Amino acid sequence: MNLDWSIIPASAGALARGALITIALTVLTMTIAVPCGIGVAMLRESKFRPVAFLATCFVELFRNLPIILVVYWAFYVMPVVFGIAFSPFITGLVALSLNNTAYNSETFRSGIKSIRKGQTEAALALGMSEGQAFRQIVLPQAWRRVLPVLATTWVTLFKDTSLVSVIAVGDLAHTAMQIRSQSFRVIEMLTAMAAIYWLLGYPQAKIADWIHKKFGVTE
Amino acid sequence: MTAATLAMQSAPRVVLQYRDVRKLYGDFVALSGVSMEVERGQVVCLIGPSGSGKSTLLRCTNALESLDGGELLFDGIPLPKDAASIRKVRQRMGMVFQNFELFPHKTAIQNIMMGPKTVLGLSEQESRARAEALLVKVGLSDKPENYPANLSGGQQQRVAIARALAMEPEVMLFDEPTSALDPETIGEVLNVMKALADDGMTMVVVTHEMTFARRVADHVVVFESGRILEQGPPTQIFDAPQQARTRDFLGHLGWDA
Repeated sequence: MNLDWSIIPASAGALARGALITIALTVLTMTIAVPCGIGVAMLRESKFRPVAFLATCFVELFRNLPIILVVYWAFYVMPVVFGIAFSPFITGLVALSLNNTAYNSETFRSGIKSIRKGQTEAALALGMSEGQAFRQIVLPQAWRRVLPVLATTWVTLFKDTSLVSVIAVGDLAHTAMQIRSQSFRVIEMLTAMAAIYWLLGYPQAKIADWIHKKFGVTE
Repeated sequence: MTAATLAMQSAPRVVLQYRDVRKLYGDFVALSGVSMEVERGQVVCLIGPSGSGKSTLLRCTNALESLDGGELLFDGIPLPKDAASIRKVRQRMGMVFQNFELFPHKTAIQNIMMGPKTVLGLSEQESRARAEALLVKVGLSDKPENYPANLSGGQQQRVAIARALAMEPEVMLFDEPTSALDPETIGEVLNVMKALADDGMTMVVVTHEMTFARRVADHVVVFESGRILEQGPPTQIFDAPQQARTRDFLGHLGWDA
């Protein structure tokens, strides 16, 4: 077997750019999907039935579709049906955000529900409004409870961003695949790609483990 | 004469008036026509077996539960229905819960400052000053920075009392404040409540502590199956109950009437 590892230092710049895009996609997706997830969780608990129903439909739709399908759909169908076309990066971001919003909303909903009713009552008894009680008393406690789950979601998302490579977002997976098909250095590039994903993912997984230990259920 | 004492004199003598109060949970009748009054400065103890409606009545008082019939007057005015007015009423009533319900993500002093800061809109310094004075009052001036998880049950309940007092309420509602406590910490909570009563605070107390009711209450109301069995001064209830069922209930608790 004829291996030529020199392709890797030669492509270092492109791979670094790809890795940065992968990280940016992960960070931006979570930045969007956390507040949106809280929002959808609140809508699902709405006393106004049609609103709760629509929120449930949203969650069940995007939670149960493969991400890669949502990515394709956003790329090919959205421009045709809705007349909106974004850059590949934004399209990938939309698709990942839809999926993660659905997941995060379920995470937050269970977190919010796990806070005793007495906590809200104590806040109301002080004269707080329902909104104040939720924001100041329930949500901060729910946050701590869901942090371990969010950390796991984060680690999964980091790897799942590779799915957007199918629509030519210049992320790490896409970049590596491009170099592979131009240089025919298949084994070298796949190995490099695996090493980079692992090296970046491993510390994140360790941080997630630490969060699990620190914030895991103590009651 | 100060404005405060003038206000006290012009205010109605009766603070809380319950007229034929009814409450249902589905088919279960929690309260079936309860009528009673609480006067300013009085300590009223609600006693009776579990599930007899005492806590429900207390929770109706600050509108944590809605009424299904009858009327509840606070300072001569029926409890409002709209959210904003209900909040105003709740600000004038403090509530202490069986399970303390301190906010676990806040320290003791932050718990006490919560009401003044978020509800009354007081500044950080004003809220802190108020909270510090209350920590002294409940005997916990050495634990302002403790989180609830690092306080004993009795200490948590004393912080909860201080938290309610921080709103400077006119009435304090206690929902079995010592039922979740270890026997050795019950006394410290009851002492704080006794001191509060001696200061002239109007208090409605749901309790199983008969010695406390006997010693501190001005008026005792005995509940059974969602109605009032008997009410009167503690001497009557504990020494000469009119109802055989009151005697039975007290007898079960080991109280010899």
